[in-house]
Amino acid sequence: MLVTVELDPGEASTDAAARKLGLRHEDVDHEYGVVGIDPDAHLYAVRVTRDAADRVRPDGAEGVYSDPKIEPF
Amino acid sequence: MRAAGAERFAEEPRGIEESFTMAADVPFSIDASYDPVQLPAPLQPEGVMRLALDQPLEFSFEPALSTYVVRGTIPDADAPQTAMTLAATHPDIVGVYSDPVIEPTLTCGDSPPQGDADDVARLLSAPALAEAGLDGSGVRVAVVDSGINVEFLRSRGRSPTLDAAASWAPPRVPTAAGEHPVAHGSMCAFDVGIAAPNATLLDFAILAGATSIAGALSDAVAAYGRLLGLLRDEQPALPALVVTNSWGVFDPGTDFAVGSPSNYTDNPRHPFNVIVASLEAAGADILFAAGNCGVECPDGRCRFASRPITGANSHPKVLSIGGVDVAGERVGYSSQGPGRLASQKPDVCAYTHFAGSGVKPADTGTSAACPVAAGLVAAVRTKHSRQALPPQNLRSLVQRTAHDSGGVGFDFDYGWGVVDTDTLLAALP
Repeated sequence: MLVTVELDPGEASTDAAARKLGLRHEDVDHEYGVVGIDPDAHLYAVRVTRDAADRVRPDGAEGVYSDPKIEPF
Repeated sequence: MRAAGAERFAEEPRGIEESFTMAADVPFSIDASYDPVQLPAPLQPEGVMRLALDQPLEFSFEPALSTYVVRGTIPDADAPQTAMTLAATHPDIVGVYSDPVIEPTLTCGDSPPQGDADDVARLLSAPALAEAGLDGSGVRVAVVDSGINVEFLRSRGRSPTLDAAASWAPPRVPTAAGEHPVAHGSMCAFDVGIAAPNATLLDFAILAGATSIAGALSDAVAAYGRLLGLLRDEQPALPALVVTNSWGVFDPGTDFAVGSPSNYTDNPRHPFNVIVASLEAAGADILFAAGNCGVECPDGRCRFASRPITGANSHPKVLSIGGVDVAGERVGYSSQGPGRLASQKPDVCAYTHFAGSGVKPADTGTSAACPVAAGLVAAVRTKHSRQALPPQNLRSLVQRTAHDSGGVGFDFDYGWGVVDTDTLLAALP
C-alpha cells in the first residue's frame, strides 16, 4: 500500500514518516524510501504493508492508497 | 433478373424504371442510380447433378443466359412475404436477396503488420522534421517500461544515446540501464526514434522482472519521483523532458473500488495521479497509451466493464494516445473514451501495428502508438523549449492540429484525430 504524508522537506525520511504515521520501523519499506509527490505541498509517499496501512494514525496521513498491478499494453 | 429483362438493360441500363414495371400493389422501389450488374451464368459440368461453388466452374457471358442484379428497397414490415410475392408475380425475377451492411475489417491483435516503420516515418513527415533540424537532439525521452537494450537497437540500425546515470530501475531488477532483456521497452525506444532519432533516452525499467513483464504502481511513483528531481534540481535546467508510458492497470480487482478514498483509477488524489500533475507542472511532456481494451477486439486481460481509460492514462495533464494503422483507421483494440479522470480521452491517435522494431513481427498496441507520438513531441522540443512552450500549450497544439477522423470534432474513438506533423509545424510559434 502507499501512504501519503506531509513532512518537513529537510527531514523527509522513512523514519520520520513512520513516527508521524504511528507505525513501527519495520512497517515502512525503507528500501523504497520517501518519494516527493508534491514538493510545493511537502507531500511524500511511502510504501507500507497492508497490515500496517490499517494501523496508520488517521491524523498522521494525508491518505492510504492502493498499489495496483501495472502491465504493458 | 432473367435475360428477357436483361436485354433491355444491356441496351439501356439507365431505363430500368421503364423496363421493369411492377404490379401496383407490390411495394418495391427500384434504385435507378444502381447500374444492373451482369452475373454470368455458371455452366453445369457434364454428369454433375448439382452445381456447387467448391467445384471447377465455367461461366458464360451470353446475355441470353445471364441474370442481372438490380437494387431496390422493400419496407421492413412483412419483408419476407413481400420478397416472396415479388418472385412469384414477375416472371423475370430469379430471386430476391438481402443487401446487408458491410464494414471494413478492423486491425486486431492477431492481424499481420500493416506497413512498416518507414511508412510511419513518412506519415510523420520525418524528412520534414529532420530538414527543420527537429530530430530530438538535446531532448531527453524517458521510456518508462520494461527496459531498453541498446545493442538490440543498434542491430536495428539505430544509434541511440542513453543517459545511464539519469536512468533508474527498482532494486529487484538485475540488469543495468540499456542492458535489459529485449522486450516491450526496446520496442518503445525504437518507436520514439522514428521521429526523434537523436533524442537521449532515459531507461526507467519499472516493468522488468525475473518472471514477468509487470510491476506495481508504487514503482511508477518512485520513477516519477526521480524524474521530478531531474527537472527541479538539475542545473542548468533541462530544455525538455518527454515521458512515454505504454502501460496501465488492466484489472480493477487489484485496486480499491471506485468511490473508495484509496482507489487509483478514478481518484485524482492517488499519489501517482498527484505526482503526474507535479511532473507536468515542473515542465515535462507526459504521454500515456490509452490502452488496448477497445470494444471491437479487446486484449484478453481487459477486465473493466466500461471506460477502460483509467487513472493516469486518462489524466488531464497528459496526452492519452489511441492507435490507428498506417491507413489511418482506428485499430479495433484501441481503448475508447470517455476517460475516468478526464472525460475527453483519448486526446489523439498515432500509428501502430506496423513492422518496426523487430521485437515481434509487429509493433502493436497503443503501446507502440504512444512512443511514436512521444517521438514527435520530442522532435518539436528540439527547438521549442518547455519554458517557451509550456506542456499544456504543446498539448493543445497537438490536439488542435490533429487530422480529424471519425466524427466531426472530438470523438471517443479518435479523440481530436490523428497526429498531423505538417499542420503542427505550421502552428508552432
